[in-house]
Amino acid sequence: MDGVRSDVKVVESPRRVRISDAFLRLFALAFTLVAAVVVGVSKETEIVPITITPSLPTLHLQFTAKWQYMSAFVYFLVSNAIACSYAAASLVYSLAVSSSFNQDAVVLVLSILDLVIMALLFSANGAAAAIGVIGRDGNSHVQWRKVCDMFGGFCHHFTAALVLSLIGSSAFLLLVAFAVLGLHKKPK
Amino acid sequence: MASTDKPTDPEYNKEAPPPPPPSATVNCFAFDITLRVLLFASALTAVVVVVTSNQTKFIPPLGFREAKFKHSPALVYFVVALSVAGLYSIITTLASLSVIWKPHLSTKFLLHFAFWDVLILGLVASATGAAGGVAYIGLKGNDHVMWNKICNKYDKFCQHLAGSLAVSLFASIVLVLLVWLSVYSLHRRIPK
Repeated sequence: MDGVRSDVKVVESPRRVRISDAFLRLFALAFTLVAAVVVGVSKETEIVPITITPSLPTLHLQFTAKWQYMSAFVYFLVSNAIACSYAAASLVYSLAVSSSFNQDAVVLVLSILDLVIMALLFSANGAAAAIGVIGRDGNSHVQWRKVCDMFGGFCHHFTAALVLSLIGSSAFLLLVAFAVLGLHKKPK
Repeated sequence: MASTDKPTDPEYNKEAPPPPPPSATVNCFAFDITLRVLLFASALTAVVVVVTSNQTKFIPPLGFREAKFKHSPALVYFVVALSVAGLYSIITTLASLSVIWKPHLSTKFLLHFAFWDVLILGLVASATGAAGGVAYIGLKGNDHVMWNKICNKYDKFCQHLAGSLAVSLFASIVLVLLVWLSVYSLHRRIPK
């Protein structure tokens, strides 16, 4: 029974697989691009009142929150930019060679590269999320105080970018999964 | 029995699977098992090194202060993720061994291995990123938000963290190799 079902799927699958593959790449491209742009444009300047001692007058200092200030955010932005340009390049490549060349070799090479980009994006998401959690909650054990109560807008931008990048990396994960499934479904 | 009512019965009759060349399969799975044992060893090492990184030091204005991994959510996530990867590697090593006894399961197992390896790779990569991000702040500090560095005070703690991060990076490379191996073995089964 299993053999019959997989055979029926193989008859109609190549075109459908190619279309879903292209859509997923487009998806990943869009989400990582928007994530990179949202982090890139997020910048907030706030005037923060600081009281050193009650006898002195309150100081009003100007602070700016930028993504360049935090190495984890730089890593996040760079990884998203790399993933975005890779998604664009692989989309063009897979569309260009789709009919002329040995399809299986293309699927093999692309899934290997997809996997590396996926790992890169996941580690960038982890790093950015870890720093974001410290920014939101602070860490009293080492006296790192929270910053999101001052820079609310920056933190909201950043949360949005993190969610977008997570969706983008899930798209890469699905790409790898579909490629493996496609290789498995080929007639033996 | 099924061939009487199926329109695709010529294919069904042809479907008797030709046995794959046994020596090549076993070779691939031997490599697979080696990588999985390496994954287990590195995950275990990373977890043990982080868990034993407690350090208590006298910090002048504050008195005795302790640094441990439980104080940072990112490091807790790191320990949990690497423990999951270690458990996963035990289970899949056993499954991989069972393929050597029963080669007819190999294609099914390769598919499942590839899926789960990709997921575990995502888990380990994000955990490494999270712990690395926090450890970098601990090493360098950040003047813009006045987060002071802590590695000049807790030297042993930071050395343990650095070692564990290197080992978990190795574990994620092993996972990448495992997925490549599964994808390549699946690819090789397609007749030219």
